[in-house]
Amino acid sequence: MNLKATSRKNAIHIMVAYTGGCNGCDIEIVNAVLSPRYDVEQYRVLLTWNPREADVLIVSGVVTWQMVEPLKKIYESIPEPKGVVAVGACAVNGNVYKNLVGDIGQNEEIWAPVETVIPVDVKVPGCAPRPEDVITGVVKALPKILEAP
Amino acid sequence: MASGEKRVEIEKELSFGPVHPALIEPYRIRLFVNDEIVEDCELNINMAYRGIEKLFDGLPVERALLIAERVCGICSHVHAWNAVRVIEGGLSIVVPPRANYIRVLTNEMQRITSHLILFGHAFEVVGHETFAMRSFLLRESFMDLISYVGGNRVMPSVPIIGGVRPRADLTESLKRVILERVDEFEEKYKGYVTRIIEDPLVMSRLTGIGFLTKEDAVRFYATGPTGRASGWDYDVRTKMDEYKPFEFNVITDESCDTKARIVVRALEIFESLKIIRQVVKSLPEGPVVNQSWKAEEMDFTTAYLEAYRGELMHSYALDSHGRIRNYKIRTPTPTNLAAMEHACVGDHVTEAILTIASCDPCLTCCTRAEVVDSGRSRILSDFEIVQKYGWRK
Repeated sequence: MNLKATSRKNAIHIMVAYTGGCNGCDIEIVNAVLSPRYDVEQYRVLLTWNPREADVLIVSGVVTWQMVEPLKKIYESIPEPKGVVAVGACAVNGNVYKNLVGDIGQNEEIWAPVETVIPVDVKVPGCAPRPEDVITGVVKALPKILEAP
Repeated sequence: MASGEKRVEIEKELSFGPVHPALIEPYRIRLFVNDEIVEDCELNINMAYRGIEKLFDGLPVERALLIAERVCGICSHVHAWNAVRVIEGGLSIVVPPRANYIRVLTNEMQRITSHLILFGHAFEVVGHETFAMRSFLLRESFMDLISYVGGNRVMPSVPIIGGVRPRADLTESLKRVILERVDEFEEKYKGYVTRIIEDPLVMSRLTGIGFLTKEDAVRFYATGPTGRASGWDYDVRTKMDEYKPFEFNVITDESCDTKARIVVRALEIFESLKIIRQVVKSLPEGPVVNQSWKAEEMDFTTAYLEAYRGELMHSYALDSHGRIRNYKIRTPTPTNLAAMEHACVGDHVTEAILTIASCDPCLTCCTRAEVVDSGRSRILSDFEIVQKYGWRK
């Protein structure tokens, strides 16, 4: 491991962008990173709310129309190298909001999945995914950041 | 002070959101500040608009339960339960008593996790990390119990029409585990609450801000712990048949401020523990589900339930094929937030977000309509967004 990767590994910052799901995944992510049981901070992975110091962007929720522009802005202001993790069935494929619609086909009120707005590296399915799964998803996104030139 | 005879000069506008560290959920707060005192407040809560009521239209009623549970991730059981209570009331479906007991049990367990989230959020806003972390740790024991009962930490899917899922039936060993965990939790939680109430720093930060009088609470219809903290003795649970066998107190507080809203929730957890013990100890034997029902035409029926933040209403009709027509949900948060908009006027600007957080806002479930132009602020309408970005392929 070269010097760059070592120094990057020592301070991975996560930012959570919540784009209008049901809150379940959002709380599970904050739980996974912050709460004393699934403490990720002990591995020097920290939660931040400033996109300019983030490395990994975790997106949860269906992308509602009002959140398309803020999400793009957040993604653009994260410096390279960056990774994006889509957490939850809503972010991965739209879940029941997109696909379980009786007479009217697919729901057009939302922009799910997240892939259609910003590029996604890792997908964590589940409604809601367990905190262990969220941690695994973040770890899967790390090689891209560490090995970047 | 928004309208009226006296014209107020606004010095500065502070706006937060939609993505901001103090707000976990996407909403926008505009504070109109004069000399660091909040003169007026405006909340935009339409960032999470998903058109969820429209999704129900035309679905068979059993499938609609899937969406009803996913209206909100914190109070998922309440929405699922109230959705089945509508059709059970409208078509007179008999629910076995054992199923009712298990529904009440899950409801009270989720009430505890929901109130502990508020403590985590509120103390994060106050800046006391230790209390926030401890509340997240305490919450884990009940998240585990919910996943033992329903199979999922967040979406337990316990109620179905006519009873509960057979998977959620309580076994003897699970009963023993629940009683043990409740005792363990109560001991730890007592220590936690004692520390909060005896901490002079936190209490001085919470006391005396965000006043909401009883008249205002009734006028804005701020139900739930928000109204009860203003001395309004209103709880839907006291009127429900499902809660008849259990004995519990309705906690009220007359001091009407942010501290009262936190303390009422803290004491409500003890009442929930009381109900959980009664449920497990006096669980009747018998079947857990009654499947002898048939979906047929039903007129508009309404069901009310005490959610964790206040009064919740679900209402729909069924057509002759048993498909849902005109679903309507009213969650407690819009009225509570309107009360909070009023309550934070006149306080210092640093206390405004704490006051708003103290009513436990849950915005995903309350967003029903988009207001494009409210006179003072304007957002892009759906039509303009389509013009700007094009239809999604």
